[in-house]
Amino acid sequence: MKSNKEQQLSLQELADWVIVQTKKAGAADCRVSLSRRRLVEINYRDRKPETIKEATTKNLYLEVFLNNRFAGQSTPDFRKSTLEGFIADVVDNSRIMEEDPFRTLPDPKYYEGRTTADLQLDDPDHNQFTPEERHLMIKTVEDECLSKGGEKVISVDAGEYDETSEDYVKSSNGFEGSTRSTYYNISASMTAKDEGDRRPSDYQYASSRYRSNLPSLKDLGAEAATRTLDLLGATKRPTMTIPIILENRGASRVLGGLFDPMSGSSIQQKRSFLADKKGKKIGSKLLTITDDPFIPRGLGSKYFDGDGFPARKRDLISEGTINEFMVDWYYSRKLGWEPTSGSVSNLIIPPGKRSVDEIIKDLGKCLLITGYIGGNSNSTTGDFSVGVIGKLYENGHFVQNIAEMNIADNHLNFWNKLVEVANDPWIYSQARLPSLAFEGVVVAGI
Amino acid sequence: MKPIPRRKFIQSTALAGGALYLTPVLKACKFLDTQASGNYFFKEFGIDEALCQKLLAKALSKGGDFADLYFEHSVLNYLGLEDGKVNQSYGNISLGVGIRTVKGDQTGYGFTQDLTEESMMSAAATASTLCDMNATPVGSSFSALKTANYYPVAPDFGGIPGKSKLPLIQKINQKCFSISPEIVKVNAGFSSTLKRIMVITSDGVKAEDLIPSGFIYSSVVAERKGKQEQSFWNLGGNRDLSFYTDEVINEVAEKSVNNALKLFDAIQPPAGEMPVVLGPGVTGILLHEAIGHGMEADFNRKKISTFSTMIGKKVAEPFVTIIDDGTNQNLAGSINVDDEGTPGQKTVLVENGILTGYLHDKISAKYYGVEPTGNGRRQDFQNYPVPRMRNTYMLGGEATPEDVIKEAGNGIYVEDVSNGQVKIGEGDFAFYVSQGRMIENGKLGAPIKDINIMGNGPKMLSNIILAANDLEMFKGGAGQCGKSGQGVPVSFGMPTCLVKSLTVGGTQQKGGKS
Repeated sequence: MKSNKEQQLSLQELADWVIVQTKKAGAADCRVSLSRRRLVEINYRDRKPETIKEATTKNLYLEVFLNNRFAGQSTPDFRKSTLEGFIADVVDNSRIMEEDPFRTLPDPKYYEGRTTADLQLDDPDHNQFTPEERHLMIKTVEDECLSKGGEKVISVDAGEYDETSEDYVKSSNGFEGSTRSTYYNISASMTAKDEGDRRPSDYQYASSRYRSNLPSLKDLGAEAATRTLDLLGATKRPTMTIPIILENRGASRVLGGLFDPMSGSSIQQKRSFLADKKGKKIGSKLLTITDDPFIPRGLGSKYFDGDGFPARKRDLISEGTINEFMVDWYYSRKLGWEPTSGSVSNLIIPPGKRSVDEIIKDLGKCLLITGYIGGNSNSTTGDFSVGVIGKLYENGHFVQNIAEMNIADNHLNFWNKLVEVANDPWIYSQARLPSLAFEGVVVAGI
Repeated sequence: MKPIPRRKFIQSTALAGGALYLTPVLKACKFLDTQASGNYFFKEFGIDEALCQKLLAKALSKGGDFADLYFEHSVLNYLGLEDGKVNQSYGNISLGVGIRTVKGDQTGYGFTQDLTEESMMSAAATASTLCDMNATPVGSSFSALKTANYYPVAPDFGGIPGKSKLPLIQKINQKCFSISPEIVKVNAGFSSTLKRIMVITSDGVKAEDLIPSGFIYSSVVAERKGKQEQSFWNLGGNRDLSFYTDEVINEVAEKSVNNALKLFDAIQPPAGEMPVVLGPGVTGILLHEAIGHGMEADFNRKKISTFSTMIGKKVAEPFVTIIDDGTNQNLAGSINVDDEGTPGQKTVLVENGILTGYLHDKISAKYYGVEPTGNGRRQDFQNYPVPRMRNTYMLGGEATPEDVIKEAGNGIYVEDVSNGQVKIGEGDFAFYVSQGRMIENGKLGAPIKDINIMGNGPKMLSNIILAANDLEMFKGGAGQCGKSGQGVPVSFGMPTCLVKSLTVGGTQQKGGKS
């Protein structure tokens, strides 16, 4: 394998060549994004490897801007002999498009101000990660899950995935950026025996940039088993209106419904129930959502966004009030607004003081939601509906596992019902959310 | 790159469903030798039988039951319209080979985007690392697999040219605005992919296919008294340009506009258990989630499906027959050959109420001692195949649609669904209703929208109590089913059908329990 420096150089050289050729083919401007990735994926079942996969991939994405016309195309073929024809195709494709005065490369003044901090996205020890270590990690997770699951186990899957990637982006009007990163994911899932033909299953996973930041593998395996055993005997209850807690790990399934309507694209295209809500309160004071790209080793951390704008920490929602929309260059021009960045990085809700256990004690009869099924959210109207799996409590005492139930509301009502944020942010994901407690939610069942 | 509206996509961990339709009359297909029309990879990329043998020998150099090579060259083109202009053009080229070594239920997999001997040998070596025994011999020749053709195209078909798509997209835009002054935004687009594959197996099969696929869509926003509603519709499948006539354009435009306008009158949906009537067509997503995934044989081989002990048992009323079919003409889930060299075919899951058979790939077929059913599918050469659905539907009954609605009494009627999911082990499933109606006293009432409906697969099957004689296949092309991180195109079909009880996830707690 070539050294990092050599690889970096060759992507850069290729990008320079592509830009020259693209302009020669008639483009006014262009942007080329190159990437290379090496991945390994291993899964075990019944104490032996079930699948082993390993490969290297590469991709070139070329965007062409020509007289307010635009085309973008990607290819895995880096040979100059075939790239010439590819470039001609992309330029030709842009020529047949209709004019769109808003479709340009960003004003280069917006490229300025990138952080010089080291975000530590690239684990220097990854190249010492051996196949034996990978197999050992999975076996550790699998063993613990099997042992904790005991007699109830029907099947346990455990797996590991890791990759190193290198990205290089350059535009004809002065943007240049590169990122090298590593990524690790480890997971276990268990299926258990239950009454009749029910075979509940659940999983636990963790992702990180550095291998050393993965949690205890034994705990992870045991947690997969515990979560599955927690589903035994789950039933449907009558429809009720009660307090609920969205557990940290999955809370983004519901929170996610707020992001699409906060994008410049949804707002400009009139597909946003939040379009006229900037500066207005849409949730309780406890709802603050920070987009922080600078967390060292963060899974969503980045130096620049898709337009080449420097990453910036921002509060999207501050104490229940919408503070900033996600507006990329294209839609900022269509809307006549300043661009803010159209994408998010790490998402943070400031944690509260108490644990989920403590909060449950004060909620009377309440439902802790640990899993979801189906569901969707309408960005135009704010209505959402999603199936839930979880545990019913009464005055702090566990009553019953529940399944096949559903929560539904409109986001403009729902986030006002947020009454407490727990102290447990889930750090193994890009959405570092703590558990969130709500009052008075309709949970549909029998 | 965002060529496809998000709401028609489904992702989940091991599970989920897509969205598509079919025509009720399926044409007879004529047989042709795909090799005669093919040899694409041999001609274009300098691959030959000797090299394939060498790669397979490498993949089996440490033993294994069998190995296969999956060559793929796909070209995707997308044109999109926004604010009156066709102003987005995106394209993607996918080229490479995936090499698999299989031993029992174990899979070693390597792939490469470089079709050079050196890179391919390295991928074959990666696949072989799974085993640690003596080499397995490879056959000395490959015979071309003869398959039917469920999506014939002209011999010189090179995909749908961008220029010819532009006017179609512009027509959709004009049509949408002409139907109603309340339409304020139209997004429309045309996506088309031309995929060429060649599967070569160590047991001597060489299969080639040319798959033309795509869809045209319209996604509109209507505005009334300061309130907005949106709707989406698409038509497509494995087809060439001849499908996209003015009638198709008009249908897409009318359906999206009329559906959006209806939503202004929608009332708060009810919550709780009640009778649910599924309208014909796209609601077949219910079968995909409630039974289809659970019948994929990998889940059963691992004993993690709720259906794993039910073969041969009565699971539904005698009028219920459910089929997963790769042979429907031009549908999005149709396949001439699957991605491990088994011909496309029709597989009966439930016959007259009895659970009959699983959906197999080669690994599970060997485990169960049966023939593979042509369900070994993969997203692309970067992934190994697993059992997947194709076009899943239920045969019609004898009632009329009106009878079915009347029989429901009080409940809800489902017209359009956007996505779904299932938990294989429990059999619990959900699907999201983007468009529906209340049923009051046996008649259709006010519109409802944005409700998740939940149920349990085996329970739901036994609760199908009436079906009409109006089976309709979904003719969309944008539907994707997600499993193990891989998306594949699928479709559905359904007659109007009554399920005695499902959980409706609305917001109105006192809603219509009957």
